[in-house]
Amino acid sequence: MAADIAALLLAFQVLGGVVVGRLVGLARRKVSVLGAIPSIIWHPMLGSPAIALVLVTLMESTLEEWGGFLINFYMAIISIVLCFPLGVLLALGRRSSFPIIRLVTTTYIELIRGAPLFVLLLLAGVALEFFIPPSIAPDAIFRGVTVFTLFTAAYLAEIVRGGLQSIPKGQTEAGKALGLSTTKITYLITMPQALRNVIPAQIGQFISLFKDTTLAGAALNILDVLNVGTAITKQQDFLGQGLIYEALAFVALLFWVGSYVMSRESQRLEKRLGVGVR
Amino acid sequence: MSSEVFKDATRMSGGRASDEAIVAMEGVYKRFKDFEALKNINFQVGKQEVVVVIGPSGSGKSTLIRCINRLEEHDDGRIIVDGTELTTDVRNIQEIRKETGMVFQSFNLFPHLTVLANIALAPRQVRGMPKSEAEALARELLERVKIPEQADKFPAQLSGGQQQRVAIARSLAMKPKVMLFDEPTSALDPEMINEVLDAIKQLAQEGMTMVVVTHEMGFAKEVADRVVFMADGEIVEVGTPSEIFDNPKEERTQKFLAQIL
Repeated sequence: MAADIAALLLAFQVLGGVVVGRLVGLARRKVSVLGAIPSIIWHPMLGSPAIALVLVTLMESTLEEWGGFLINFYMAIISIVLCFPLGVLLALGRRSSFPIIRLVTTTYIELIRGAPLFVLLLLAGVALEFFIPPSIAPDAIFRGVTVFTLFTAAYLAEIVRGGLQSIPKGQTEAGKALGLSTTKITYLITMPQALRNVIPAQIGQFISLFKDTTLAGAALNILDVLNVGTAITKQQDFLGQGLIYEALAFVALLFWVGSYVMSRESQRLEKRLGVGVR
Repeated sequence: MSSEVFKDATRMSGGRASDEAIVAMEGVYKRFKDFEALKNINFQVGKQEVVVVIGPSGSGKSTLIRCINRLEEHDDGRIIVDGTELTTDVRNIQEIRKETGMVFQSFNLFPHLTVLANIALAPRQVRGMPKSEAEALARELLERVKIPEQADKFPAQLSGGQQQRVAIARSLAMKPKVMLFDEPTSALDPEMINEVLDAIKQLAQEGMTMVVVTHEMGFAKEVADRVVFMADGEIVEVGTPSEIFDNPKEERTQKFLAQIL
């Protein structure tokens, strides 16, 4: 489907931009704002599946033809890339000096955080049918990605806001005293420090998102790794053999490996950014 | 009263200060809820003049200089910096902040940037200076505060005295018309106080206009053209260092000096 390919290409573009940003950042031995972001996706182990996804799509296969772990990966990676900027914007919105922006973002964050993720996924599955004819309605994976993005962005917003609040007032004052505008103080001084401080919480949120992709399988009837796993045990040959435990354990192991890589990469990133800093 | 003292100071300091006021405060009040932090402040700083503000803690010294670059908003009266009046107009505030440098008690260096980047940041981002030029300027300023070898380190790798000198260089990079020092040595270990005071003295000798809030009375005696004594949000007494330290007229000044000297 053209829309999927476009979405993938867009994600790839973003990824590419982030990779370049990171290289530039490394060269200068400092961290660009974008560079502090989900560095997990540039990790060779996690970045290459993303590129593989794009290649697969370009070879004219459709998302419906995919199945299994690739789907979970796809949803997690696209959601992480998209929810990050949204989360940062929401965090800034909640601290805005304009009451209307504050009201809108706060309402959004509180509404989304107050709703169970599974319910939102189910809602995305059924509610859209009321407004959009089935022939042009977005496919299940797209809906899943949208829900994950909007959901995680709300949590991320609060994490980033907490990070911004942890920056001493003196940093803003020093920026003001030098004549920097509020925007530049945020972009150049407070936000880079805030993002660095909240790396562990951010990565925790991303790990959680990664594992939650299995919910999309159940809620939106997507053939993700969990559904594949359970489907195998229901095959004629395996029925009645009680192999469900093995299947579930293997699915759990897959997620553990992915989460562990993210966690290690987060520690590596913290270490690298911690150079010369209290 | 202040203008009389001002002329006096001009005479006493060998005519160093000109009649042109860089900072002028007229009837300035500042309130925090029910607490009056500044009461009817009338105060001028002439070109190339060094004014040292002393007084007990909570007397409004810091609030006074923080009003000059609008880190605090005054409630009444007028503040004019280099011919521009501080109003709610953001452009005026930006203009004034470009012309005033400030050095804080807690340094407030940017911990995620190298020393060089700390200094080059404002010239690049506010004045639009090219990177190479800004970094050359930063190195020159580091030379001036005598720590050129620290350029590529991060602030946390420096001693307190070195950090404060970087902070001074960072302010100077904007080529300000007046420098404000808010207790620049209060957070320093004793052995580092002198290196920072020396940097400030050197600036004074080069003719920088400055307002210094400090508890270093030796420094005040040596460097100040005028000393301002504040208590309870008011300017109690203004005079040359010898007038204030050797022959204070007001009772509150006498009491304060008796306590600390």
